[in-house]
Amino acid sequence: MPELEFVNIRKGYRSPTGDDLLAISDFSLKVDGGRFVTVVGPSGCGKTTLLRMAAGLIAPGAGEVRLDGVPLATPSPKMSMVFQAIGLMPWKTVESNVALGIQLQSHRQKLTPDELGRVQATIALVGLKGFERYYPSQLSGGMQQRVGLARALVRQPEILLMDEPFGALDAQTRAVLQDELLNLWGRIKSTVLFITHDLDEAIYLSDMVVIMGRRPGRIKEVLEVKLPRPRYSYDARAEPEFARLRNIAWQSIKEEL
Amino acid sequence: MTQATSPLPRQRKSGVGSLLGAAGNHYVLVACSAVAFIVLWQIVSMNVPPVILPSPASVAVAFVQLTASGELVRATLQTLWPFAIGLSVAFIVGTSLGLVLGIFAPAAKLFDPYIFVFWSIPNIAWLPLFIAWFGVGNLTLVVFVFVSAVFPQLLTVEAGAKEADSFLVEVARSLGGSKREILHIVVLPSALPYIFAGLRIAVGRALVGIIVGQLLIVATGIGYMFQFYGETLSLAKYFAPLIVIAALAVLLNRAVNWAENFFIPWKTRAFV
Repeated sequence: MPELEFVNIRKGYRSPTGDDLLAISDFSLKVDGGRFVTVVGPSGCGKTTLLRMAAGLIAPGAGEVRLDGVPLATPSPKMSMVFQAIGLMPWKTVESNVALGIQLQSHRQKLTPDELGRVQATIALVGLKGFERYYPSQLSGGMQQRVGLARALVRQPEILLMDEPFGALDAQTRAVLQDELLNLWGRIKSTVLFITHDLDEAIYLSDMVVIMGRRPGRIKEVLEVKLPRPRYSYDARAEPEFARLRNIAWQSIKEEL
Repeated sequence: MTQATSPLPRQRKSGVGSLLGAAGNHYVLVACSAVAFIVLWQIVSMNVPPVILPSPASVAVAFVQLTASGELVRATLQTLWPFAIGLSVAFIVGTSLGLVLGIFAPAAKLFDPYIFVFWSIPNIAWLPLFIAWFGVGNLTLVVFVFVSAVFPQLLTVEAGAKEADSFLVEVARSLGGSKREILHIVVLPSALPYIFAGLRIAVGRALVGIIVGQLLIVATGIGYMFQFYGETLSLAKYFAPLIVIAALAVLLNRAVNWAENFFIPWKTRAFV
């Protein structure tokens, strides 16, 4: 199983007044293969910056991100990222947007029949069968994020990076998509690194919740979530264990606000 | 995952019906306003000398006469072909140069000041120079139309290529896209609407260019008809080419709209 490791990550930036500020300090985290790990923290703690480093979109100031022990410098075909703002190409249909996940992975314009089948199957998997020829502007926000998810999953990623993917959705849609994500993840079993500022979402989804503090961004606390899966099969949010974890996390994060 | 709610119907009956109704109303409105316009024109023309404003009927007669004699058709063709050549070349050059400058920042840094200076010079100031270079003839007209149309096309497309959403670029990069792939997948499609926006302006400028060139210098085509019938105060005949130019402008605008709808379906097919 692929694993993702952050080793002594530091990242600074220059403030408008010209001072050097430390955004992330000595961040080390090992995401074991096949686990669902969520990073929570107040806004400005650098969690999105960390995820973009994991995606190979930006380089750490010091330290390194390792994929299966190998330092990562550029986006890896073994990974997929899902964005809060989704980022579908408005000029491409649902089908073409999903196909893009494969095209940019293989650097081939033309999909093999096998890959085409995968595109169809993934669209069906996220519940969008029948919407293949729709443009993103013709879909609701929740449906657009399903397309975003399909574009990520069609790559059969070993590691799935998710940057507050449900943050812009209404509460009901979010709850539905959380369950569906868990259901999907139960089948594909890839490693997931998920970012959110929603504690309930973090605990409900994850095996492990990493709580970050800010100024500079660093790990404050790590919680193991041992609630049995599948969690949508019972009311996991009503369990005393859920409340206990939520309380610990909230106490920890409150100090950072 | 569970299936999302069933696909929306491609066309909603009530929606299409009311749309047709709206379109129908639109045409009725246009017809009414045209009739009102002509009536008003007739009333005004009956109260002023024909040398100031000819009546609609006399314009219609002049239009038929000029068409029958072949003069109007010949003039229209004389106007159309230098216009079409100049505009086409301006479209091709403006679009490709605009894309290059919009995509490669160093090229833009190098050329933008020149383009800005040339664009700032009023077009008409070039005309005497073009006559000196290309003589009094169709070549001057083509070049003048080209210069009139190329800058709006170039500048609009350049702005469009620079507009590419940096977030979409990042998304494509996260999926593993190379620079070339990102150009193909993100930058060019986001510039497409600007190509048509530029064309809309370029068509207008080119039309001004051809009429001004023929009216002032080259003495052919529709532009010359304006000059001739204006100077001889044959206003009924003056209005005939005016109608042709108005019709041409409307047709070209429609053609650009049609091309836009055809090439940018993601904008026009949205119904949510």
